[in-house]
Amino acid sequence: MFDNLIARAIVPVTIAVTGFVIFGCLLLYSFIKADLTASAFLTANNCADTVVKSTKSAMLEDNQQAIQNIVENIGTRADVKLIKIYGQDGKTRYSGRNDFESLSTTAEAHIASFLDSELGQTEVQRHEIDHDNGNLIISLPIFNEPQCSTADCHFHADEEEILGFFSIGISSHHLDETLTLLRNRMIIFSVMVLFLTVGGVTALLRMNLFLPILRLTYNAEQASQGVAEADLPKSDHKLGKLNRDFRLIVKQRDQALLALKALETPNRNVDNGSDQA
Amino acid sequence: MDPIKHETEDPLPDINPLREQVKTKIKKLELLSSTGLWILALFTMLSMGAFRNFDFLPPLSDSLRAALGTGPPVKYINGALVVYGFSAIILILTQMASDKKPRGALGHFGYLGAFYLFYHFSAGLAENFWAIFAVGLTILGLHSYHVWNYYHERIQEQTEILHELDKLMD
Repeated sequence: MFDNLIARAIVPVTIAVTGFVIFGCLLLYSFIKADLTASAFLTANNCADTVVKSTKSAMLEDNQQAIQNIVENIGTRADVKLIKIYGQDGKTRYSGRNDFESLSTTAEAHIASFLDSELGQTEVQRHEIDHDNGNLIISLPIFNEPQCSTADCHFHADEEEILGFFSIGISSHHLDETLTLLRNRMIIFSVMVLFLTVGGVTALLRMNLFLPILRLTYNAEQASQGVAEADLPKSDHKLGKLNRDFRLIVKQRDQALLALKALETPNRNVDNGSDQA
Repeated sequence: MDPIKHETEDPLPDINPLREQVKTKIKKLELLSSTGLWILALFTMLSMGAFRNFDFLPPLSDSLRAALGTGPPVKYINGALVVYGFSAIILILTQMASDKKPRGALGHFGYLGAFYLFYHFSAGLAENFWAIFAVGLTILGLHSYHVWNYYHERIQEQTEILHELDKLMD
């Protein structure tokens, strides 16, 4: 019965705390992962924009070799996995690096979606992350600017809003490492919180409830075997009135027994006297 | 007429129907005590479907999807899930503390299913699957424990009555 009492007190607390801590950690991890990924995309977007700006003067001069050199030089970076510039028709014009076939396929899907989409939607950059291979890719349109449409050597009409597309795939190794580190730390922290919460609740319950009840149970067992109130082990005062009332009952029983004995003794003497007579 | 003789000749009422009633009640309570586990099993099956992103179901037609509109942003669903999870756990713990008859397991199953669907339509199921699964297991596990505990106590009461009746029979 007592084991059940302990189980009934601790099991719900354990389930509720464990479940909610795990749930909270999973959701928190999901939030942080989304925030870090968004931050990584923002950085990648800024990098992509920087590359597009750096090729601008070469594009204005229609210096194809310079553009190819810039793209190739950027492609020598270890964390760059793909770099490509596409024309208005979506065909590859310049390619610096293409390490992963899957990245190339994703980039082409992005370009196809740019070409298929409405004019307003082309302004939105496309991005994707592949956690399995540790890559993220970002594609954005290259817009026509007054300098392009009024250039002497390389003429684009005013109404051509998009002059081409740019795709860059970079390694998400650092992001994945950070996420793994965060996950491991969260697991360790959760386990510590769980042990402290469940252990703390168990210790408090044991100290303030289970042990006093255990002592009272032991006293009740002793009293039922005839031990007098004065001989019962001293109890603490954690159970308050219950403990006092129990000892009072045992004391009353002891007094009643004494009174009964006192009544029985004269009767016995009377009986003995009558027998002798 | 001898009153003592008259008393001993009086036949005892037949308590067999009462015993049968108690036995039937115990069986019914035993069945009820496992309902929490059934709901938990149902939720696990639903979660297996959600893990596969409900790919075994036919895709929604464009017209129906247009009628439903776009799903709510994932961050709103996350917020709702936190509020729901916290409230549901508090509610079940309160039910347990006041020794009330356990209710609402199907409701919780419905809510959790709705969360899976909302995440599915908002394209956030893959990221948040384990969060819903963990909170679902916690809520339904706690509820299941409450159901088992509650009916177990009722079974014990009925078993004691049955023992008393058996003593009377003897």
